[in-house]
Amino acid sequence: MNSVRKYFKIIEKVRALPAWATWMMWATLGMLVLTLVQELSDTSQLTDVVSSQGMIRWSVPIMLAGLGGLFAERVGVINIGLEGIMILGTWFGAWGAVNYGPWAGMLIGILGGAVGGLIHAIATVSFGVDHIISGVAINLTAPGLTRYLSSHIFVNYDGGSISQSPRVGKVGDFTFPFLAGGNIGSWQTPDLLGWTADQNWFLISETTALLRGAGSMSIASIIAFALVPISVWILWRTRLGLRLRICGEHPLSGESQGINIYRYKYYGVLASGMLAGFGGAFIVTPELSGVYLEGQTQGRGFIGLGALIFGNWKPGGVMTGSLLFGYPFGLSLRDLDGVASRALMLVGVFALVGVTVWTLKKGRRTDAALAGVLSIAAAVWYSTSQTVPKWWISILPYVIVLLVLVFFSQKLRMPQANGSPYRKGGHSN
Amino acid sequence: MLKRIRLLTTILVFVLLTATWTACNGDTTEDTDGSNGNDNDSNVDNSEAAISVGVVYDVTGKGDQSFNDAAAAGIERAENELNIEYTELTPNKDGSDRAELLQLAADSHDLVVAVGFLYEPFVVDAATENQDVQFGVVDTPMLDFESDPSGQPYGDNISGLVFTEHEGSFLVGAAAALKSQTGTIGFIGGVANAGGLIEKFQAGYEAGALAVDPEITIFANYITEAPDSTGWQAPDRAQEIALSMYENGADIIYHAAGGSGLGLFAAAKKHSETVGSKVWAIGVDSDQYHTVDPEVQDYVLTSMLKRVDVAIFELVKSTIEDNTEPGAITYDLAVEGVDYSTSGGFIDDIVEQLESLKAQIVAGDIDVPTVPNS
Repeated sequence: MNSVRKYFKIIEKVRALPAWATWMMWATLGMLVLTLVQELSDTSQLTDVVSSQGMIRWSVPIMLAGLGGLFAERVGVINIGLEGIMILGTWFGAWGAVNYGPWAGMLIGILGGAVGGLIHAIATVSFGVDHIISGVAINLTAPGLTRYLSSHIFVNYDGGSISQSPRVGKVGDFTFPFLAGGNIGSWQTPDLLGWTADQNWFLISETTALLRGAGSMSIASIIAFALVPISVWILWRTRLGLRLRICGEHPLSGESQGINIYRYKYYGVLASGMLAGFGGAFIVTPELSGVYLEGQTQGRGFIGLGALIFGNWKPGGVMTGSLLFGYPFGLSLRDLDGVASRALMLVGVFALVGVTVWTLKKGRRTDAALAGVLSIAAAVWYSTSQTVPKWWISILPYVIVLLVLVFFSQKLRMPQANGSPYRKGGHSN
Repeated sequence: MLKRIRLLTTILVFVLLTATWTACNGDTTEDTDGSNGNDNDSNVDNSEAAISVGVVYDVTGKGDQSFNDAAAAGIERAENELNIEYTELTPNKDGSDRAELLQLAADSHDLVVAVGFLYEPFVVDAATENQDVQFGVVDTPMLDFESDPSGQPYGDNISGLVFTEHEGSFLVGAAAALKSQTGTIGFIGGVANAGGLIEKFQAGYEAGALAVDPEITIFANYITEAPDSTGWQAPDRAQEIALSMYENGADIIYHAAGGSGLGLFAAAKKHSETVGSKVWAIGVDSDQYHTVDPEVQDYVLTSMLKRVDVAIFELVKSTIEDNTEPGAITYDLAVEGVDYSTSGGFIDDIVEQLESLKAQIVAGDIDVPTVPNS
């Protein structure tokens, strides 16, 4: 009896920890599982520096789309048109980069996305069109529009065609000094993370290897990751953010305070378009493709929406979600013999076992039974198969989101007035 | 507020419409100058043309610096040498308008060339309905195996242009093995299990490499599996796979992945610059040394040439002469339907060995497999 009481006391203490400490705890636990699985599976790819770099490359567009979704839904507008807006971002990004250089391409891609956001804002905010219908319309129109533009512009370029742009230039990389051995002036600083990663210290070397991957990346990726704390600051620490959020939570009470709800909804949806456009422009940089090619967004806008739900409509959560979705994707491509992808399945088994224990502790017996059955099924699949089929990795993000919706839906909380139409003075249409 | 936005929107729409209209107008004038590369571009000659040809490209369209461009080169050569006129069409992104495009092409042309094996069922329908029009499809034998296991032509007006890709791949595989410093090479395929087409490339490549060096290590990977055909349009995924192969010791990688191949060339450049020692890529279909961006040109060791241009030129010629064979027309090493390129001069030192291998294949001394071992 005593031990049980002691256990609950520990739980309460954990609860009392500040948010960053809980995050650290979960991250360490995740690293421990990853390291153990890696040791068991006889591979080093799970925590490679290059795997980590792959994860970052594949996560950035998803994260930007997710942040785009965040700004729209925080002002109460569902933006299912993210995929289409990203396509606009890829086309305009490539067009700008080919004509005016990679940085201008980034900017023009963002502007192209802003146009998509503006159309969505005009339709949903001013005209009160159903958000889903407007979003689907954008998704259907964007590929047609870009193809039309290509047929008039890219076909005249050397190396361009109706479905393809000429090669797009590089934005440039940055290596952090001291952490990853970047240069200060002409002096090369020591590569501390890289050195630790090579030491073969259990758990520590694995963790630093993953961090070392983030120590040297494209400047565009750095900007993208910087947008996460910036979004937190804007939305939760500024007057502008408060006004934006009231549009998504309870616009009528915002109106009673004299806030022009229409204007802030426009701001939010425009920001959403710009972020998704940035994501599209990132896809065409040599970091990923180095070229505009029709159909290259490959559903990343939708996966971004998945990251948004996974991340509980918070920037940090969106980032975690996109890293979680980008990681298996990059890893499966880098995996030449199939060992690492299979090891990843074992991580999934552990995660499902964790969910079973957690739901059991909460007294949710049906959920616990479901999670238990799923973990057993995953374990059986793991032990009977030698390789993981390619399609499995492509649908993994959606599977994760579905599992999150099934088991953690009580913890999810979307903006209260998200998706509902708003008319000034409370008139409904 | 609302009124102002409505006004703004109206102005915006008006401006957009005007811009579009002007853009269209501008292009029509260009067209009469004979500028190339429009969606629906007729190159009309003043003199009476022998025949008119409708070329229907694959989804990626002209400018893919590979397969479709090879087809375009063939029809352009036919235009220059055979006094024909032609029209080019490209399907939409998911290819759902293939049947309509074929019918459109059949309406006003004597010969319709469909670029890509995905056209097979649609061409069968279109050719049955348009008996007076000749049809040619690239990359499929156009034989009906269902009613007769040995294969019968679908109709008198349908031919399929097929290539012995495994033979050409054998030669570039041998080149890779001869040139490799590390004893490790790689292969990236676009879409696995798509009728075994890309597996033919892999099988020939591996056989060629093993013929030269039985100890060689070969990484082989596919971007997607059929029916997921996004593997042709994913240079980002190809780059990731290629980087991983290079990091694991491969120094030459061959691709058969259409538009995704651009990612391989980018990876070769990226990896060479990071590591400081040169790694190579091998192109496919066209002589990619000449089609890729000058920035990555120096990393193209050689290309497996699949002379789609020759095949299409010959098809046009035989149609004019009215002696086209229905069913499969095979282009192999013997008639130079497949080959390897020497552009850039990177493999000049091994041409002799490659030529001797080529002679052995043509003579039938080497039997190149069409299905990979593993």
